Amino acid sequence: MTQLNSAFTLFFSLLVEAIPFLLLGVLFSGLLQFFVDERRLLAILPKNPLLGAFAGSCIGFLFPVCECGNVPVARRMLMQGAPISVAIGFLLAAPTINPIVIWATWTAFRDQPEIVFLRVGFSLAIATIIGFIFSAQADLRPFLQSGVASALTLKQSQPSDLNQSPLLQSGTYFLGQSAKPLITDPSELQAAMMASVSKPKSFRLRLLLENTVQEMRELGGVLILGSAIAALVQVFVPRDIILSLGQSPVTSILAMMLLAGVVSICSTVDSFFALSFASTFTSGSLVAFLVFGPMIDLKGVGLMLSIFKPRAIFYLFALAAQLTFALTLFLNLYIS
Amino acid sequence: MTRNVIRSLLPWLDVVAIAAWGVLLLNYWLSEKLFLLIHPNYIGLTVAAGVLLLIVSGLKGLLLLRSSRSRQTFAPMQHMTLFPPGFGSLLMLAVAIAGLLITPRAFASQTALDRGVTDTITLTRVKPQSFRASTRTEDKTMIDWIRTLQVYPEPDAYTGQKVKVQGFVVYPPKLSEQYLLLTRFVITCCAADAYPVSLPVKLTTGDRKSYLPDSWLEIEGQMLTETLDGKRQLTIQAKTLKTIPEPKNPYNY
Repeated sequence: MTQLNSAFTLFFSLLVEAIPFLLLGVLFSGLLQFFVDERRLLAILPKNPLLGAFAGSCIGFLFPVCECGNVPVARRMLMQGAPISVAIGFLLAAPTINPIVIWATWTAFRDQPEIVFLRVGFSLAIATIIGFIFSAQADLRPFLQSGVASALTLKQSQPSDLNQSPLLQSGTYFLGQSAKPLITDPSELQAAMMASVSKPKSFRLRLLLENTVQEMRELGGVLILGSAIAALVQVFVPRDIILSLGQSPVTSILAMMLLAGVVSICSTVDSFFALSFASTFTSGSLVAFLVFGPMIDLKGVGLMLSIFKPRAIFYLFALAAQLTFALTLFLNLYIS
Repeated sequence: MTRNVIRSLLPWLDVVAIAAWGVLLLNYWLSEKLFLLIHPNYIGLTVAAGVLLLIVSGLKGLLLLRSSRSRQTFAPMQHMTLFPPGFGSLLMLAVAIAGLLITPRAFASQTALDRGVTDTITLTRVKPQSFRASTRTEDKTMIDWIRTLQVYPEPDAYTGQKVKVQGFVVYPPKLSEQYLLLTRFVITCCAADAYPVSLPVKLTTGDRKSYLPDSWLEIEGQMLTETLDGKRQLTIQAKTLKTIPEPKNPYNY
């Protein structure tokens, strides 16, 4: 009973902490449409896969949201025809490469500034490498959920639709009985918002509202499932077991990566969480926690399922885990 | 027929689910249960989110009302990429209602034991910002003591100092009946990362059975150094033990 109550408290504390960030992320990614012309932004990004992946990793600076908020942005990028390298780079690096997170990490690790630089550096490197690797896949559709894939198919069949309003395309959404088009798919809504810049303000606000409601519903549901799993595992697997796995250079990294994946804590606050292990765990394992957690965790995987099929998520997970492990092990063995 | 009714109700489910979360967040704030869940720094954010959710839900409801008055049917299709229609909202609504019904409870001794309260190395996440030796030692809270120990861990340095701290009782499995652990949880962001800090208490009379686990005590006494479980530790020699009600905000920061 006590256990159940602890799980319940944990579950709601995760949610109460995450819902504001989720709302912030959803509102932000919607509002972004008013200020940043994504298509223009995507157009100026380098076409070279490696540079594209790096650029994608860096534009997290424009979107100050944590990992709850970057998934809708990455999904919209893909649906608007952004190269996979850019989208993957963004998806993996944006939670870490943004001003709020870097500032929070700096606050936590003022005594060990190298942790801040290593976190940023490793995240950029890993996101760029994985983005580059994914760009080798020419046809992405087998990797993507059907909604995203069909938008991509549409994009490919109409390669030069930049000047054509998506509101005029057929088969993507529905007309209400009034003259106003009413769209119910979040991603199509967002795509339509791109073209709505010249529309009256009330129409844009209405799209923003619809978009917010849809995304809250969908991402909120996933967040609830992820938090429930995280809370159950945290309560029913004693932390001691997870922690006793690691004092050595190797197992400490593995233990911290496991912890990062289980706890699913938001990247804006995870550095404070990591700080409590600062004197018992190797620096490499702390960096592993801070780099790997924002990329892949139980909550994030739930959100990513709205873009990718499980197979692609497994590749992402395997690559991110191995790269994080290799880099931080090098750090443990040869530097610190 | 029924399918049409369900479809026309689905948008309202969104409205209700989002409003329920707004109500839940504000309810946690007004009933001060938010202290049990998250660090006070994030309370403003949560309250703002609660208000925003209510605004979003209200606007959406207004739009729905307006479109139904003008006999405009809402788009009947739902393109969910992950869940069947209505599932996300239903889940959000159900969880919000559960949150309104069940009261979260602060973590207790079982969780403290699970989270390694008996490890002798107690650490705090936030390093002491200032260090004043002249502070009256009996004004120090539990976490002040732990932070002081972190800066200068030699227990002998504190022997004889007066102490007055509050916390809840944990029975350390490895120590004799004469000892108990006075414990507080510390959180940095939310209950998910709560960790316990504690000081061992040496009872002068009787054994710990008169103080049940999880009961809250205010203990006054003196510091002394004891060798417990093979390690030299700063220990409170209790003079008076007063049972106190569980504080509204049970965590230390």
